[in-house]
Formats: sequence, C-alpha cells, structure tokens
Amino acid sequence: MVDRLERLTDLVLVLLRDDRPKPLREIAAEVPGYPAEGEARRQAFERDKRTLRDGGVDVSAVPIEGREQVGYLIRPEDFYLPDLDLAPDEQAALNLAVAGVHLGDPSGRDALWRLGLPASAGVQPFADLTALPALPVLYDAVRRRVTVTFDYRGDARHVAPALLRFRGGWWYVVGFDLDKEASRTFRVDRMEGQPSVGPPGSAVVPDDFDPEAALPEEPWRMGGEEEVVGVDVLVDAGLAPLVVAEVGEATVHSRRDDGAVVVRLEVTNVAALRSWVLELGEHAEVLAPDGVRAGMISWLEATAAGSREAVD
Amino acid sequence: MPARADAGYRLHRLLAVLTWLARQGRAPVTELAERFGISPDELIADLELAACCGLPPYTPDQLMEIMVDDEEVVANLGPELARPRRLTAAEGFALATAARAIEAVPGADPDGSLARGLEKLEAVLGQPDRLRIDLGEPPHLAELRRAVEAAEQIELGYYSVSSDEESLRVVDPVSVVALDGRWYLDGYCHRAGDMRRFRVDRVLSVRPTGKTTPGRARGEGSEALSDHRAGEVGEAVFVPGPDATVARVAVDDAGLWLTDAVPTLGLEPLPDGRTVVHLAVASTVWFDRLLLRLGPHGEVLGPPELADSGRRAAARLLARYRTPVPERS
Repeated sequence: MVDRLERLTDLVLVLLRDDRPKPLREIAAEVPGYPAEGEARRQAFERDKRTLRDGGVDVSAVPIEGREQVGYLIRPEDFYLPDLDLAPDEQAALNLAVAGVHLGDPSGRDALWRLGLPASAGVQPFADLTALPALPVLYDAVRRRVTVTFDYRGDARHVAPALLRFRGGWWYVVGFDLDKEASRTFRVDRMEGQPSVGPPGSAVVPDDFDPEAALPEEPWRMGGEEEVVGVDVLVDAGLAPLVVAEVGEATVHSRRDDGAVVVRLEVTNVAALRSWVLELGEHAEVLAPDGVRAGMISWLEATAAGSREAVD
Repeated sequence: MPARADAGYRLHRLLAVLTWLARQGRAPVTELAERFGISPDELIADLELAACCGLPPYTPDQLMEIMVDDEEVVANLGPELARPRRLTAAEGFALATAARAIEAVPGADPDGSLARGLEKLEAVLGQPDRLRIDLGEPPHLAELRRAVEAAEQIELGYYSVSSDEESLRVVDPVSVVALDGRWYLDGYCHRAGDMRRFRVDRVLSVRPTGKTTPGRARGEGSEALSDHRAGEVGEAVFVPGPDATVARVAVDDAGLWLTDAVPTLGLEPLPDGRTVVHLAVASTVWFDRLLLRLGPHGEVLGPPELADSGRRAAARLLARYRTPVPERS
C-alpha cells in the first residue's frame, strides 16, 4: 500500500512535468498507488485533486482528443511564482513581519513556506489583528477588480471594493456601492456570511471615485450624513493631554488657566459624538451649540429617569 | 499546536521542506525540524518517503536525491523545486497585512528592508497598494518602545479609567503590543508588585529612572497575548474569574452596538424584542460610562447593586451641566 503522501507527491511531480494534458488512464499508469480500474480510481483521483486544490495547487482539466476526452495538468503559472529575487535582509524582514503580526491563523507562515522562507521561531509577537474569513475574499476581489455581494444589516449590497482598511480594531472595506451609486464604507465583521464575487473585470468605478477620501477619520464623522456642525467640548485638565493627542492640536479652540481645553470638532454624526464625550465621564462637557448641548441634557435626563423612551 | 496529520497538510509541509532543501543543499535535522515545527522523527519519516518519489519509471536516477542520517539531511533537488510557489488569497493577504502592519509602526523598518521586500512581492503578485493598516500612534509610543528595547526602567504617569485616577508608578517595561487596534505596554509595576498592562493612549508621561530593568525574561509579557480580549479595564490584564460581577443589561436595537464594543459572556432574547447582554464588570467607573453611552437604550436587570448605576451616573453628570460654565465660549 502506497502512502497517500507519496502518491500526492508523485502526482504533483508528474502533472508538473509536461505541458501536455494527460488522461487519467496515463496518470494512473505513471503514479503508483491508484486503484486498478473504474470508479474507485476516479474517486481516488478526484479526492487527490480536491486535496491539492485545498492546498492552493490547481489541477487544470482540459479537453483532449481520444476516448477519455479530458486531460489534466498543473500549469506552471498556477504553481510557481516568478522568482522574487529577495535579498537576505528582505527575506529576514518578511520573516520578522509574519512572526511579529498575529492574524489568528497560520496563513502567514504558509505563505513563507511557499516562498521557501521558513520562519525561525522565538520572535515575540507585537501586533494582533482580528482575522475574519471574509478578508482574503475581499482582498482578492480588490486585487482582481471584481464586484462583491454580501448581506449587511438585512440588505443585500452590491459593491465594487477598492480598499481594505484596519483602523481602531475594525476592518473596513471601502467601495463604490453599485445600487446606491455612491461611495460606502462597510465594517467587515458585520457582513453576514461570506461575500460572493462577480466575474473578472466586473468592478467598474467612476473616474472620480477616491477610496482614500471615503473613510472619514473621526468617529463623529463616521456614518453621519448630517450637515457639518462645529461642536465645542470642554475637557478637564486631567484628560486634556490625552484628548488633544487623540483629536489633534488643530482642534484646540481655547485653553483655560486650570489646564482644561475646549476642542472644536467638525461633527456629522451627533450620536457618535455624544458617545465619545460620554466615554470621558464627568471630565467633559458639550458647551455649544445650544442644540447639541440641549440634546445631551435631554439624553442624560432620560437616562437619569430610567426612561426607555427614545431621545434624540 | 495540535498535529494536522492529514495528507494535504503533510504535502504542503513536505513541499516547503523540499523548497528549503533545494536552496540550502544540506541542513541539520534538528534545525530543519524546528523551522517547520515538527519532531525530528516525523521529519525523517517524511523525507524518507520523499526519497521514494519522483518520475516514472522511478529508477534511482528519476527519484529525488535525498540522504538522511540522524544528524543531517543532504539533498540535490535541482532548481525547479527551489522556486517560490504561488500563494493562496489567504496567504497573500496575510503576508501583505503583516508587512503593512510593521510599516505602520514608526521606526520599525529603519533600513527599508521590509518595504523593498514587500514591493518585490507585490510586483509579482500584481497587487495594487490597496491595503491600509492603521495601528494608531499615541504620543508616548516611540518612547515606550525605546524603553523596552533599551531595558530602561521608567516612571509612568498614567490615567486609569477603572479608578478614574491619575497616578505615577515605576514600571519595568517588558513589551509594547498592538492588540485589536490599540497599543498596550506590558510591564512589571512596582506599585502593584506584579505584571500589569497599560493602555499607551492613557499614558500621561514617561520619565526614565536611570536604572535598567532587572533580567526579566523578554517574552514574558507575550503570555498575556491570549488573554487580551478579556475586557477593557485600563490597567491589569483582566480575565473574568468566578468572582467577577456579571451584569445583565437589556438593550434595544439602538443599543445593540454594545455587543460589538465589549466582550460579552452571553446573549439572550427577551419577549419584548430586546436582548439581554451578560458582561463582566471589572470596574464600576467603566460600567457607569458604558451605561451613559447606552442611555435610554439600555436597562440594568441585575445584579441589584448595579441596577441604579446608570441613573446615578447620569444624575451626577447632569449636575455638571446645570452648574453654570464660566466664560462659556
């Protein structure tokens, strides 16, 4: 009995050797370990093809002349990469990157294996990024310029994806929404199920679409479609340095003698701003405009009263 | 790591070993085994099997030339096996993400080796530059990374949310890590007399004490990596133990963001359409602020001692709003 690993290894070598597709009959004659005839042989071969495909090796089926009609081969371009010509320091840097950044699965290590750059152990990881099953699909879709379709908060969305972005602990895909005909940003973890991809070349976006501009930088601008309003927030001395570091020196409107600061934020999403201010607890207060301040007060009154009625 | 002994995985691993051997020619068995994370016995078994593989008619000149003894592997495999192989979508994504994440850290790629490597890789993969990793750059990040590198003891000014206090404490820094989009400093805190995790964006000041840190094993802090999802408590690594207070908070649809924002211990639907979220409360200050943000969309169902937290926190903050602000702008 031939070990299956041996059969698979021989199969890869044999299918890679010629550029001529071979019928299964010939393959089975050349690769030891297949059942002699018939359906069992076909099933064993199909199983091997699946194993190879799951491992990133595509076996192509091609129509051929003759009784069997289908021949198989592994195309060199499906198996090899062009030589990367990496210098030793570049190899070492890629190694360190994979060792230092955890993505929750062994894909990075597998990539190094395929490139012939196995990592040495013992590097202390320094970043951990959430891994989501949709990410490789979306990344590949961006790369190949194909559309993706996915369910998002109960709606089917049809998007030409243009950029993947990790920020603040979340993954986002920025794309052109083909139904809404506008730029949209989606949280990848909120997609329901795996996105399905469209045919090659399907992702056509308008010339003036700029995915870099599509993702607003600040939480109080995210998802907001309201008019921009300048909101003044007073932050007490203790937290002032941390808040200024977060929102930027340019937002500082005034400083008080006691070390407190007033920052002026350009807000398009008042609910998100309220949440951000409340995270600062009793150390911050919305000063102006009156409408936003009054909204905050009624929110707090409803909370203090334990009322379950929506306030906004 | 559990063994993945299925044939597909073994083939993937074997091809990787062969690629490495095709380039190196020879390698000590122990080093090769360590690089590929397998036992020397497993490695030798796989290589002995590979030595029987090749092309028809499987005469010795058509088999892979691999010689294995107890100490060393010597191979003559030809240039084809040495070539890099095509990456799957997941692998290409993982490699590019790792490289981009490192590039996002100021000073992490001083001689540009990584940038050059990534550029060659992306040229071959045909990948446009469509991946942005932003790990954030809080003000004291660079200083803290330097202190870890230089094994410098520091005095840390820190704002702790769980106690709502600023403090100064002497810390032997062990590592600086980015977890799910936030930077943390792990170190031995002399005030607590134990390892502590600090959020870098809450560090108010960093001052070297002039001492070097005692020979604490580098890497000790990485043990905590697996625990990091436990909770946002500002300070100590928090793993809800059997004694942790577990709150039950009912939220309506507008409050469901809570399940994205904090680690939850369980969810259950209510007949009125709301959802009960179970979460561990490590700090009442933290819990109060969460309830302020939920506002009228959240209601604490229990335990009784927390039932009024949100109402009281809102009342305290309202008092501030009702006090006239001097020099309102």
